[in-house]
Amino acid sequence: MVSILGANFNERKLVKKALESFYGLGPQASARIMAKYTIHPTARLGTIPAKTVTALTAELSNMTIENDARRIVHENIQRLRDIGTYRGRRHAMGLPVRGQRTRNQIQTARKLNHLERGGTGSRF
Amino acid sequence: MASTSCWRCLARPSQRLLLAPVSITASVPTSAAFSTSAQQLSRVADTSGSKHNRAGKRLVLGRKKRSPDKTRPPLPGERKAFRKRIQLSNDNALEVTGLEVLSAENAVSPDSVGKVFGLPTPDVVDQLRACEAFKSSQNWNLFRSPHLLVRKETVDLAKQMTDAIEKKETLRLVVTGGRGSGKSILGLQALATGFLNKWVVINIPEGQELTTASTEYASIPNSEFFSQPVYAVKLMQAIYQTNQSVLSQHKVMLDHMHLPISVTRNMTLAGLLNATKEPDFAWPVFQSFWKELLLPGRPPVLFSLDGLAHIMRVSEYRSPAFELIHSHDLALVRMFADALGGKTVFPNGAAILGITSKGNAPIIASMEKAIAQAAAAQKGEEVPARDPFFRKYDEKVFDSLRGVKVLDVQGVSKTEARALMEYWAASGILRSRIDEKHVGEKWTMAGGGVVAEMERVAFHDLRAV
Repeated sequence: MVSILGANFNERKLVKKALESFYGLGPQASARIMAKYTIHPTARLGTIPAKTVTALTAELSNMTIENDARRIVHENIQRLRDIGTYRGRRHAMGLPVRGQRTRNQIQTARKLNHLERGGTGSRF
Repeated sequence: MASTSCWRCLARPSQRLLLAPVSITASVPTSAAFSTSAQQLSRVADTSGSKHNRAGKRLVLGRKKRSPDKTRPPLPGERKAFRKRIQLSNDNALEVTGLEVLSAENAVSPDSVGKVFGLPTPDVVDQLRACEAFKSSQNWNLFRSPHLLVRKETVDLAKQMTDAIEKKETLRLVVTGGRGSGKSILGLQALATGFLNKWVVINIPEGQELTTASTEYASIPNSEFFSQPVYAVKLMQAIYQTNQSVLSQHKVMLDHMHLPISVTRNMTLAGLLNATKEPDFAWPVFQSFWKELLLPGRPPVLFSLDGLAHIMRVSEYRSPAFELIHSHDLALVRMFADALGGKTVFPNGAAILGITSKGNAPIIASMEKAIAQAAAAQKGEEVPARDPFFRKYDEKVFDSLRGVKVLDVQGVSKTEARALMEYWAASGILRSRIDEKHVGEKWTMAGGGVVAEMERVAFHDLRAV
């Protein structure tokens, strides 16, 4: 097991996948982080040296990911709600925000549009 | 869930045993006005106490059971190993007797053209296998033991290499040709010639392994280049295994103070190669081995790379600044490119072979133009100019192919084709008479003797049976 920022991953896991499992860290950011530490795209966690793993943890700890990233999203939605906008209300009701029709097929909105978008809990 | 008892029956299951025998047996004779066969049948079938259980086949939904897979799933890497395995012998094939074995002399003799030769077993075959000269796409597994057709180009190439090395010059050559025309096999024959002549043979079996960002890389301190440590270890081990007998006769002559491992003067070059398997130290050690190899008095070098187009483009690696790295900024590729472009001086003679591929190759305009220019210069024709309206020419590619010789491989001649087909027939995989008509037919069908196509048309009948 390899630990990055407190989360444990299997050694066979791709570094790219492990990095992208953090909320707020996508393909662009993971590619840049991996290039910064000269890790090739198909590298697995078991093959990178231990000092690179600690460097990755240090790198991630300075980034706005996980709960910090979630909080930003929550705050944005909460602000819309607090000033009483239509978008804020639609978020709170779990309905489409951008004028889509609601006769059918609003599963994505039901899934995503909450005040607590992206979940509340940490992955740890 | 459906109940097993009749839903019309109001009796409790516990009471049914008590109720059932009385009613049915009494009522059979009295109700004989219509057919009683169903009742009689049910009486025969019903041996238990309960009369209301339905007999026969019933539709059961939602109980499909998938039996779990009993076999063990393949371990990581097992599938790839199976796909990439090299099988060099087949006990079902007939043994072909009376064929000569390839040697340093007959590889350069014009009399060998159009004959099939065996590879010296086990040493040269083992060496070729260790440096990955055999490929899984080649049909070695159809024959009893590996044999090669020596063709005009083979002798030509072997002669060019030996002549250059005798004069302590450097032969820089690119092998081109159509798809399936036998370029990689020609490379294998060149490697075999190198092993037979006791040269130091370095082979990079696939150029794309270095540039498709599938092996580790690291920036080299105080330079703009990048090393590929894991690949370097693999290459060093391959060189050690294949050239051990040659390299163990030469001792280290330089001081390698900067190396992280201790290198003494009584260490052989083979020992230097085998000194470390640590990826962190691999590149500096390989570099010092290369320096040692370029000293006067060392054995000649044969450096070959298959899949040239892949190392003539921007690689898929990214630098820490997130810019794509040009393949020639990868140190190992740079080493080959410098050797091919004539920037490296080989005092003991060398042959640098770049073998192009047509099946798996990106289209590199600069490389095509550079090779066309080199071919024209070799023939003494007018050198074709670059397209003035094309923006993406790559100077690094032109530098690395400056002044190379070009060996164009096309189809085999009819006599060579006949020798090859006779060998197939003697091995028992081609069951037909080999006469001039048959050979001519297959030769024409194969676009003028393109070997891979000949194989396809010749074995097509076999496959259809």
